[in-house]
Formats: sequence, structure tokens, C-alpha cells
Amino acid sequence: MLLTAGFLILVAISIASVLLVNKARNDSGWVTHTVEAENQINALLLEIRRAESAARGFLLTQSQDFRRDHETAVANIQPYADKLAQMIGDNAAQAANIKKLRTAIDTRLDQFKREIKFIEQNDPAGASALVLDAAAGGTAITIRDVGAAMRIEEERLLATRTIAADRSQVMASSVTIAGSGMVIALAGVSIFLVRRSSRARDEAEARLRDANLNLEFTVDERTADLREANDEIQRFAYIVSHDLRSPLVNIMGFTSELEELRGDIFRRIARLGRVAALVPSAPEDATDGAEPALEGADKQLCEDFSEAIGFIKSSIARMDRLISAILNLTREGRRQFAPEPIKMRELIENIGSSVAHQATEADAQIRIGALPDIVSDRLALEQIFSNLIDNALKYLRPGVPGDIEVRGRTKLGFAVFDIVDNGRGIDAKDHQRIFDLFRRAGTQDKPGQGIGLAHVRALVRRLGGTISVNSELNHGSTFTVTLPIQWNASVRNSRND
Amino acid sequence: MTNPVTIIMIEDDEGHARLIERNIRRSGVNNEIVPFTSGTSAVNYLFGKDGTGSERKGQALLVLLDLNLPDMTGIDILKRIKENSFLKSTPVVVLTTTDDSQEIKRCYELGCNVYITKPVNYESFANAIRQLGLFFSVIKVPEAAS
Repeated sequence: MLLTAGFLILVAISIASVLLVNKARNDSGWVTHTVEAENQINALLLEIRRAESAARGFLLTQSQDFRRDHETAVANIQPYADKLAQMIGDNAAQAANIKKLRTAIDTRLDQFKREIKFIEQNDPAGASALVLDAAAGGTAITIRDVGAAMRIEEERLLATRTIAADRSQVMASSVTIAGSGMVIALAGVSIFLVRRSSRARDEAEARLRDANLNLEFTVDERTADLREANDEIQRFAYIVSHDLRSPLVNIMGFTSELEELRGDIFRRIARLGRVAALVPSAPEDATDGAEPALEGADKQLCEDFSEAIGFIKSSIARMDRLISAILNLTREGRRQFAPEPIKMRELIENIGSSVAHQATEADAQIRIGALPDIVSDRLALEQIFSNLIDNALKYLRPGVPGDIEVRGRTKLGFAVFDIVDNGRGIDAKDHQRIFDLFRRAGTQDKPGQGIGLAHVRALVRRLGGTISVNSELNHGSTFTVTLPIQWNASVRNSRND
Repeated sequence: MTNPVTIIMIEDDEGHARLIERNIRRSGVNNEIVPFTSGTSAVNYLFGKDGTGSERKGQALLVLLDLNLPDMTGIDILKRIKENSFLKSTPVVVLTTTDDSQEIKRCYELGCNVYITKPVNYESFANAIRQLGLFFSVIKVPEAAS
């Protein structure tokens, strides 16, 4: 912007300077021209005078020297007059003057010729009369006057032209000076602005550096907070599940005690019943553990009792499994990962052979494609993939031979693994749910706690990856695990527990 | 089977204490059982008023120890017993709900003789306790040997 302005001003100044300098040169050219014209006028008048005085000399002395002199002067007059006319012909007043002058000169030259002729015919009186006549007739005077007028005109022109030349010179120099001043001013402003902007930039850089430092610090702080919170949750889950177990041991223990008591009670009831009914008793307590023979309402009572205890026990067992699952998860969350280079194909093949028996039972085959090798935690990877392959084997479509494929590819520093099956598939609405702890989807005909995928997702996340599912009911499922090829343990594994 | 061994049971959960006692009795062990429901009272009994443990010198003891106590951790008690010159030969059976392998390892490192997890599955729990009775019958408690 400023630069453009400066450049424009510079250009304008240059143009103005060039124009003004040209004008000044023109003007001084005109001044010279005027001086030359004046010179020419003088030279012409001088030649005329010379011719006249030479003619007079010849008239008096009849010396051939004067005559030669006179003829040289006369020869000069015409060309001088031509040159003068050419020089000042552009000026209307001077043109008129020169016309007058030329007429007078012609008349005078004619008189000269006639004077010379009189003298050659030895008639000095005629010549003298002619000279007198010329003097009286004013030809010489006319020539003198016109010449003077022309000189005055030329002097006037000289004066005006000199003034014009001076003015344009002054103007040219003032424009140049003003331009230089402006350029210097612009340069000053530019320097000031450049300095100011560079100072502003320096300040901004400093601020940016500060902000970056701050940001790093903040990120570190937040990360530490998060890690602490995570650890806290882990500890919390661990303690809670632990402490939940304690009362559970009691509940289970005393329920079992009750169950034993139940046997005693109902045996006694049976005996009492038999005594009351005077039924011939079987050998007393022949077999202690044998179900006491009960009748009617007593039998019903015994069954209700058993049922209640059965429900209590199965619920306790279920709760215990859930608590164990939480404990295991938190334990997994606390485990240190040890990254190492892993041949993925080998790892998957091992898993495949460990589930070979199940695969045969389920009439399924496991195909393993080319897999990218990665650096990660071996145990975690084994758990991830064996869970996924287990699931694929577990949830096949009944009556359809299973076909499970594990394939891999790399993408932008990540290894992408697909576990594809042709099993029963998962409804789209359950795609998120299946990754939640204790949540399952579809027909509940297989044993399970709803832990596997939650565990897998937790592991994949800890390894810096993601897991997703693409599936449709009855059309198989594809679980996609994306893991970093080079897992960096330092970030997420730096806690020490 | 009159064994002079006294069983010190340090267990804050009365239900657990009762179940343990019952199963011990069921396995035919009739030794005296002295129950404590807090770490402090047990420590007071074991180490006496002066804290040296000299009061228990020469007594045949067996400690059943729960790790999760309200006032201190069982690990501390285990450590103190095994560091005390009068008590260090006392067998300690750790009974707890924890089956964390690290903690088990830690207990064995500190000198615990047997580690039993209290499984929710009552059958295995009862079995473990009854086997403990078997263990009691074969154990040779050093009689005032120190």
C-alpha cells in the first residue's frame, strides 16, 4: 500500500522532472536562438554598412580594392538575409519586419549597382547624386530603423524567454527537490512502519512461544489429572468389588448353612409326620442324605424352600461372576504393557490352533490372510483377537458352516485388522451396546457375561487404537480393529502401579 | 486330639468368623479359638502391653488373619508377627477375599504359611477350612522352643 504510493509518487516525480527538464532545455534553446537571431541581425546590418562604406570608398578613390570589398559584402548580404528570415520567420512581427528589411535591402543593392555603374561610366556626379538620393530617400534610414526594431523585438523576446527558462529551471529543480524530499519522507515512514511491524511480530512470536509453553504445561497438567482420575477410578472399582465380595461370602455361606438346615428340618417334619400318621417307619436314618418322604402341603413347603434357596444361590453366583469381571477389568487396566515386535500372522495362527477344537465342533474354518506386523503388547493382542475369534465361533448361524476370515492392511501408520464371519450378525441398534460392560445382544442362547467386547475395547483403547463393527442381522459381522503400527508406550504407560 | 494350640482368629466380619469357626469345628478340630474383630485388639493380645510379645512367649499359637481390617491391614500384623522374636515361628494362615496374585506373593514373601482366598462358592470355602483342620492336625507347633 505504502510501497505502491511511494512508487507512484516516484514515477510522478520522474515524469514531472523529465518534462520540466525538457521544457527548461527548450526554453534555453529558445534563448540561444534569440541571441543567435540578434547576432544575425547585427551581422546583416554590419555587412550592409560595410557594402555602403566600401561603395563610398570606391566612389571617392575608384580603387579596385574598395570595389572588391564592396562586392564581397554585397555577396554576403543576400545569404545573411535568407538565414535571418529562416531563423525568425516563425515570428509574425519579425516576418513582417524582415519583409520590409528585404525590400529596403533590395532597393539599396540596386542603388549600389547603379552607383558602381555611374562610376564605371566615369560619371561620379551621377553616383554622388544617387548616394544623396539614397540618403535622402531613407533607404539607409529604413534599413537602420527596421534593423533597430528587429533588434528590439529580439531583445524583448530574449527577456521573456530568459525569464521563462529561469522559471522552468527553478520549477524543475524545485520539483526534483520536493520529490527527493517526499521519497526521503516515504523511506522514513517505511522504515518506521517496518520497524513497528517487526516489533509487533517479535512480540507476537514471544506471545506464541509463551502460549505454546503454557499449552504444553496445561496439557501435561490435564493429562496428569486425567491419569490420576483414571487411577482413582481403578482403585475405586478394585476396592468396591473387593468389599462387595466380603458380604457375598457371608450370604453364600449362610445360605448354604440354611440349605443344610432345610434338610434337617424337613427330615424332622417327615419323621414327625410319619409318627403322627403311625405309618410303619422305615429304618430310622438309614441314609442320612436321602430325601425325606413328604406328603401334600409339607412337600409343597419343601419345594418352595428349595426354590427360594436356589434363586438366592444362583443370584449370588451371578453377582460373584460380575464382581470377578470388574476385578479382572480393573486388574487389566493396571497391568503394564510391554511393547515388542509381533508377527501378527503367527499370533493369529496360534489363536486359531487353540480354538481348533471348537472350530471343528462348530463346523467352521478360520482363514488367515496377510497381516501387517506391529509393535505392541503381546498379551493384550492375544486377548483382543482370541476374544473376537471366540465370539465369531460362538455366534455362528445354526446349520451354516462357519467361515471366519482374519485379514489386515496398513493405513497411515495404523494397522487395520478385519475379523469377518458369516455368523448370525448384529442388529444395527446394538452396534454400540455390545461394547458396553455386561451388555449382550441377540438371542441369549450362549453362556456369557457381556464382558468380552468391553474388555477388548478397553484394551484396544489402551493400545491407542479403535474398534468398530459392521454387521447386519443374519448376514455376518465384521469387527475392525485399528492399531498403531508402532505403539509408543511412554505416553499411556507411564503410570507406575 | 488334645492339642494345646490356641487359634487366634483376626476377622472383622462376624459372619465370616462364624462360618470359619463352624467349618473348623466340623473338620473335628476342637482347639480353643480366640476371636478378634479388629486389628488393634489382636495386636494388643499378641504383643502384650509392652508391645514386645514376651507375654506370649512359649505359647503355642496359630493365627488366622484377614487382610482387610477396619483399623489396619493384615499385612502389617503379618509383618510384625514375623519380625517378632517370640512370635516369628507362629504359623499364620491368611484368609481373605483377595485373589490378587501380587498380594498373595507379598504375603508369602512376608512369611505367611498358608494363603486361603474366601471364595463365594461355599463348598470350596468349607473345603479349604476343613483342609486347614487337616493341616492343624499335622502341624508341629514348636513348644516353647525359642
